[in-house]
Amino acid sequence: MSDENRRMWSELGLNLRAHDQLLSVLSNAYQDIYLSQQNRPESTSYFDDVMSEIHGQRIQELMREKQQGRKIVGSYCVFVPEEIVQAANATLVGLCSGADFAEEEVEKYLPRNTCSLIKSSLGFKLGRVCPFLEGSDMIVGENTCDGKKKFYETLSDLVPNMYVMDLPQMKSQQGRQMLRSEFYRFLEAMQDLTGFQVDATALRNGIRMVNEKRKAIHRLQSLRTADPAPISGLDALLANQIFLYEDPRRFAREVHKICDELEQRIERGEGVFPANAPRILVSGCPMAVPNWKVPHIVESAGAVIVGEESCVGERGNRNTTEEEGESLEELMEAVVDRYFGIDCAIFTPNPDRTEHILDMAKRYRADGVIHYGLQFCQPYLMESFGVEKSLEDKGIPVLRLETDYSQEDSGQLQTRVEAFLELLK
Amino acid sequence: MRAAGIDIGSRSVKLVVLRDGKIIHSAIADTGYDPQGVARGLLDQAAWDYVLATGYGRTMAQLHFQAPTVTEIKAHARGVRHSCTDCRTVLDIGGQDTKAISLTNGGKVTKFEMNDRCAAGTGKFLEIMASNLGFPLEDFGAQALRAEEMQQISSMCTVFAESEVTSAIAKGADRREIAKGLHMSVVRRATAMLKRVSLTSEVAFTGGVARNACLLHLLREELQLEILVPDNPDMTGALGAALLAAEA
Amino acid sequence: MQHHYQSLQEIDRIRDHALLHLEQAREQGSKIVGIYCIFAPGELIRAAGCIPVGLCGKKEDPIPEAETVLPANLCPLIKSSYGYAATDTCPYFAQADMVLGESTCDGKIKMFELLNEIKHCRILHLPPTSRTDSGLRYWYREILKLKDFLEDWTGQRISHTAVRREISRSNRIGRTLWEIGGTCQWDHPPLSGSEMMRIFEANSSTPYPESLRYYADRLLQEVASRRRSTNGTASRPRILLTGSPVGSGSDKVLQLLEQLGAQAVALENCTGLKSLYRNIREDCSDPLHALAERYLQTPCPCMTPNANRFNFIRDLVRQFRIQGVVDLSWQSCQPYSVESSTLSRMIRERLNLSYLHLETDYSNSDTEQLRTRLQAFLELIEDNA
Repeated sequence: MSDENRRMWSELGLNLRAHDQLLSVLSNAYQDIYLSQQNRPESTSYFDDVMSEIHGQRIQELMREKQQGRKIVGSYCVFVPEEIVQAANATLVGLCSGADFAEEEVEKYLPRNTCSLIKSSLGFKLGRVCPFLEGSDMIVGENTCDGKKKFYETLSDLVPNMYVMDLPQMKSQQGRQMLRSEFYRFLEAMQDLTGFQVDATALRNGIRMVNEKRKAIHRLQSLRTADPAPISGLDALLANQIFLYEDPRRFAREVHKICDELEQRIERGEGVFPANAPRILVSGCPMAVPNWKVPHIVESAGAVIVGEESCVGERGNRNTTEEEGESLEELMEAVVDRYFGIDCAIFTPNPDRTEHILDMAKRYRADGVIHYGLQFCQPYLMESFGVEKSLEDKGIPVLRLETDYSQEDSGQLQTRVEAFLELLK
Repeated sequence: MRAAGIDIGSRSVKLVVLRDGKIIHSAIADTGYDPQGVARGLLDQAAWDYVLATGYGRTMAQLHFQAPTVTEIKAHARGVRHSCTDCRTVLDIGGQDTKAISLTNGGKVTKFEMNDRCAAGTGKFLEIMASNLGFPLEDFGAQALRAEEMQQISSMCTVFAESEVTSAIAKGADRREIAKGLHMSVVRRATAMLKRVSLTSEVAFTGGVARNACLLHLLREELQLEILVPDNPDMTGALGAALLAAEA
Repeated sequence: MQHHYQSLQEIDRIRDHALLHLEQAREQGSKIVGIYCIFAPGELIRAAGCIPVGLCGKKEDPIPEAETVLPANLCPLIKSSYGYAATDTCPYFAQADMVLGESTCDGKIKMFELLNEIKHCRILHLPPTSRTDSGLRYWYREILKLKDFLEDWTGQRISHTAVRREISRSNRIGRTLWEIGGTCQWDHPPLSGSEMMRIFEANSSTPYPESLRYYADRLLQEVASRRRSTNGTASRPRILLTGSPVGSGSDKVLQLLEQLGAQAVALENCTGLKSLYRNIREDCSDPLHALAERYLQTPCPCMTPNANRFNFIRDLVRQFRIQGVVDLSWQSCQPYSVESSTLSRMIRERLNLSYLHLETDYSNSDTEQLRTRLQAFLELIEDNA
């Protein structure tokens, strides 16, 4: 079995030694952080299975899909419309990475003061350690922040089929027009890639499939409003991370099972943490797998994270796409509408985001909000001041954190988090 | 009941023991290379019934002495109120970090900010600069205060500030004026932090560096506010932990 | 080197009097629009009867105040620009009735949101690429919306004729400035990089471009009449300065280069030749579309890819017989920093020239380190010459 994997990785062009290193780091981190949790719902063993086979079984499934004529599309942003990818007979996988790799190599292409998420993504490519990357038939980048814009210029030279999507920065008619024409252009590109003509039926099926997995994660999220919370923030984060590359149907099925168990817990009043554990809402930059550092610190300090206002989280999975349209055009409009609502900090102005954070703080009955910003991420760090002020004006305490992927500042983060939790008591 | 508070910092370990609200014992020792060993030594030399640990080494203390912990933020907030009952803002400049804390009327922490990643603006910065200029550390503030003019140092970073100092000396600038400029750069960093957290009176200045008369003077001028310094400002964290232990 | 051209002194005087002239114009009823960037279509603003004035922050003084609401890890130009507004210490900003910004880099985008709380700030939204038709359509509609806004704001219609007139004027002075810049292609450039920068700054700050044009024309005549012939005098290293915008106050690198005896014969930055990158088409049936076409091609790294900049630099290297390129990025400026690695390869490998990348801020604390690097860079050029 393991030989089969090694053969597959080798055929994909991975650097096997470096890849082994990455897998062992991943496995140790998962042991220390996830498997050490107390009182985990039993059905979260689904996550354990997924993580242990993250580069094994899932990749084999994708390779089989390719053999059957489907294409694999890798993406770096939740703005990339999975409905269209599915409709065109392809599978979408998220490529953002959450661990430093090949840092010295990366610094030949990108300045040191680039955020860890971007540097890590380039590092995974230069190090040849990601089978999702190497197995993708097309890589989709999106022009959001400066760092990403410039990163894709570099990446274009390193991957055979790079597609860059333009995104608007304004929530206006014109912005929507731009998104719409970009989604139509993407539809063309997908049809060229797969040779599959998308009609209304195909798009409707694609919409339904993605909506199914969204509904599952929405259900999971809604169950976290309960007090005490029935599942840890770490596990909920993992669900959001897996959402981006796991088989959509299996994801929906398994997460519903988890939700069934959580509902039973809620009936019994059984929480994953003691009854008076402070409830925290995390907001800000996305945490890509295996970036579990801050939630680990927060929950080890005795708080429970009850929501994530992040692209890998509610901001990314927020709305379903309307399924009622008859024609391809109507369905495309529905897709555009759905994605246009994402309130990434790249939009200016971005008042919806503050409204959503306030709403989430209330809904999840958060005692405080931790704003998570990656160092050098200007959009989110700059928005953090405004977010802090708006929350404080409503009497909600905020802790602004700025960090990267390294472990060096764990002690300092811990002190800040502990002091914040003391403040909340 | 004798309540003890131990503040295990990266430069020094401080112990305060209280009985009936009065300090009956206090001690300080260099951390050296063995913070837990030094902490244990101080605790063994004192008589106490209950201890609460704070500071950089508190997590290890939890393991070694089963002492419950509290962060330096909370400890300082509590400690400063022992002598400044109306304190609403705390500026703490320690050996290797700087903190600004905002308190409610009742003394509860509402907001805080820390710099513990970079020596600039901390006691370490002053130590390095004193050495570069050939002044004993205890004398540094007094010498700086004697200068009428000030040689501006604009570097944010300690290492670059050193180069700037070398450059200034080479050009024949007066050492005391340079010293004053260096103190001013610490004040500027502290002020920037305070502006983001709180500038409500009363403002207290704690940490070993609070004994530096030049810093105190420049801070008062820059903020145009009265600044209170408790007796033994470097014991504030340990005192706060002891008070919290007594109230537990 | 100081030839003290009479017309250059007049241009300096225009620059020095710009504020006074602005105040006068305002008293006479003109509205002032503050701008921060060469993407701003000055011709449209003038056609509306308003006066565009450059507000870009070039000094470090207001930065501490900016750092109370902006991260310290942010480009000094952005912090300075915001700081001037927040401390109300920029008289030009005080004169502006509104400001116009663009969605260029992340830092600016978010800073403008805060600036809007101090003074009405309107944003022009740029598409991320200049290469597609949809991008141009998007940008064209932004220009149209600006026109509608200006008409509402001033209460008067902006005719195509008025826009054409401003385009023609702008092209005219652009050609003159380009020619003045072009004199630095000579063996003995008559003007220094600093002087060139001041001339361009006069253009972006004066409300009376006609008088500037007059003296610019005269300057061309003066330098031509005093042109020295090439007869074997040792020439100083010919440098192209590129990268983040620099201006009076933030020009320490330019000054260092000149102190060290080099000549910055070409400035490929927003304060220099970049603003003259293309003429505006005068044969277009819709002058607003002509504006859109031209401004979208500005070689700014917020555009991806930014082929225009690389092509422009290649041409300048050839035309000005450049011996070395100094590429300056302000600290935390991601767009320019990332382009540095590509630019470095182009200059070193394809054009076989010396290249130096500098990263700094507005303070003077690293002057000696910069001097050492620049000196070493110039020594390398001299050794290779």
